[in-house]
Amino acid sequence: MRKKGYRLLAGLLCIGLLSGCGGNAGGNDGKGSGGNSAGTDTQNAQTGDGAAADLSNIYTGELERNVTIRVLENDTAIEQGYFQELIDAFNEAYAEYGIVAVDANMDQYSNLADDGPYGYGPDVLYQANDVLMKYVDGKHIYPIPVQNLECYAQIPDRAWEAYRREIDGTTYYMAVPVNVQTSMLYYRKDLLPENWETEWDDNGNGIPDMVESWSAMYRFSKLRMEEKEGQYGYMRSMYDVYFSSSFLFSYGGYVFGNNNTDPSDLGFSAGDSWMGASVLLQQASLMNEGCIDDTITVNAYSKLADGTYFATMTTPDVYTLFLKELILAYQGQGMSEEEARALAEENLVMTKVPMLPASADLTEENPELIPLKTMGGVNGYGISAYTKAPNACLAFVEFATSYDMIMRRCELLGIAPARSDVASQRGGTSEMIYQSLEEGNVVLMPSITEVDQIWTPAQSFFSDLAKDAFREPGERKYDDPDKLKAGLTQVDTQIYDAIFTLSGN
Amino acid sequence: MKSTKTLRVMDTVITHVILVAVCFVFLFPCLWLILASFSKSGSIYSFDGFFPSEYSLDTFKMLFTDTDMYNYPRWFRNTLFIASMSCLIGTFLVILTAYTMSRFQFRGRKTIMKTTLVLGMFPSFMGMIAVYIIMTQFGLINKMWGLILIYSSGAPMGYLTQKGFFDTIPGSIDEAARIDGATNFQVFLKINLPISMPIIVYTALTSFVFPWSDFILPKLLLKEKDLYTVAVGLMSLGETEFARFAAGSVFIAVPIVILYFCLMRFLVDGMTAGAVKG
Repeated sequence: MRKKGYRLLAGLLCIGLLSGCGGNAGGNDGKGSGGNSAGTDTQNAQTGDGAAADLSNIYTGELERNVTIRVLENDTAIEQGYFQELIDAFNEAYAEYGIVAVDANMDQYSNLADDGPYGYGPDVLYQANDVLMKYVDGKHIYPIPVQNLECYAQIPDRAWEAYRREIDGTTYYMAVPVNVQTSMLYYRKDLLPENWETEWDDNGNGIPDMVESWSAMYRFSKLRMEEKEGQYGYMRSMYDVYFSSSFLFSYGGYVFGNNNTDPSDLGFSAGDSWMGASVLLQQASLMNEGCIDDTITVNAYSKLADGTYFATMTTPDVYTLFLKELILAYQGQGMSEEEARALAEENLVMTKVPMLPASADLTEENPELIPLKTMGGVNGYGISAYTKAPNACLAFVEFATSYDMIMRRCELLGIAPARSDVASQRGGTSEMIYQSLEEGNVVLMPSITEVDQIWTPAQSFFSDLAKDAFREPGERKYDDPDKLKAGLTQVDTQIYDAIFTLSGN
Repeated sequence: MKSTKTLRVMDTVITHVILVAVCFVFLFPCLWLILASFSKSGSIYSFDGFFPSEYSLDTFKMLFTDTDMYNYPRWFRNTLFIASMSCLIGTFLVILTAYTMSRFQFRGRKTIMKTTLVLGMFPSFMGMIAVYIIMTQFGLINKMWGLILIYSSGAPMGYLTQKGFFDTIPGSIDEAARIDGATNFQVFLKINLPISMPIIVYTALTSFVFPWSDFILPKLLLKEKDLYTVAVGLMSLGETEFARFAAGSVFIAVPIVILYFCLMRFLVDGMTAGAVKG
């Protein structure tokens, strides 16, 4: 009798547990069904006859009422207070609909593909084009009817290109560009030689030669090293593919063929890209062994501040970090915070990258100069396919990419906007980057998933190349053009193998 | 005689040299981190050789006051809550499991023991994907109780040490108590538990320390920054936040040290209890 009772109890508990699972699964279905329908909608949108018709299935045009949308922003925007301003302004503007935008409160690099299907991802996310476009294959983000947005005409086609996907002859845009990321040169004005205006300004344009050409930078780096041990000119981790590959692109190299869409055509060794590798090798000879790995990337902030380095190359979004370190360094010299800040803002210069000698010989006198084609990215807003309020999300994206908000973003974060009107209004670096993008001197990171496979082989090569500068003359691996070409060809082969060996193609 | 003395001296010297070398390997990184956390500049690259050139408490001050982006006090509270609850529930479950396995004979006991022994050989992260999916089904993602549940329910798997301890307590004591009319629960509570203090303390310490320093599970289950534990939070710091990382890593040891000093008395008392017969 007692046993029977136990069995009955166990049975009831099992039923309760299973129904609990069902309930939860159902609960999740609610989310999941949003997700599923979203997935279906996306699929329809991507494979249907007309983009506008299919997108209207997602964006009905009627704002959802009393909803909370979770927005994933980058840490700098949160830290500098821009994001709070943005959501406050949006919430005020959409108060009558009861739409509230909140911080998703997640890691800025969190993966929507992991969290979205289970209902824990953000509704709107601000990430780089290569990251956002990775979500497209898994249908994790919705296409956006960008033609209807106010910012559409203001953003150049090259920026839209980063988010464009052609499917069955129909073009879809998967996110809205906000910010152009590319390499910039940072240097300390107060570390220029006193006589730079007479000795280091050959063209008399008031800009020091060393920040205009890599050849002059090479000469200046050599001079600084000779002047004092442990002091350097230009410093950069060669290991970093994002920056080092720029030198290959400038001499004919590329990542993928057919405008970065054909992964079977690898181009790290294309054209005369070996000349770019040769430039890197010459630069590494005037650095320390920190250029082999990530050391310089990490220590550049404090080393530029203490005067050990004269210049480095990195992205514009870290300007505030350099500034912060320089202010601390000046304060350490006994200045007040205000004095230190004023001096740091005057002496820390962020400008466009120098030009390269066409011959790739940094020691050549009066070389013909060509522009450095830097690798870049476009950060933008995407809309999760798991959101329950796509119309509210679209409203948020439109609001966040409006002239006023992008202008405010520029003022607070010093970003290079994708909007032409803001770029021209701001002038300076913002306009400079915008022009580089327009002129094709910013090579956008490929927006296809195969891009994941380029980093490790290329990192290994650049690391080995940097190491070569510290090898004994008889042991050098890259001491002639053929060896450089062979090294780059091997990079292409390794990437190709990584992409296709297990793909069955 | 003289050579024996020489040998003894040599033995002492060599032993001490080896001990000092081993200590150096273990202690140097800790010492370096502690000193680095007091660095005035906060940057690893401004050190004078291995150690900071100037010292201050600014980093610790910043750790607890500059909380806009990196809310260390909150991470600390979260970790303390998760570790404390896991410790309480986990210790209770482990002791019960071990006592049951040690004192009672029932069908399937051996099979359960063998199964747990085999299951214990697999690394805990092996089931992470399954854990994640189960937690999503139960709606326990982004919930600290989800983590507590996993830590506590997993704890009894490691009951063998505790069972070994209970096995050393003579069964005749239980029989004597039962003859005097004690129930199973009374035997456990009034006879076995008081003389098992060392193993309870040991269990509590290990049950606390594992959740306290774990990274994989909180990283998997806690998506929101406000719910981060110290381990996850420290890993999310920006690349220029070395000073904060060092100070945070040093401060995380404080509760463990306090707990150890508080519980050490019970550990020693328990071990010496009954050692001297009257």
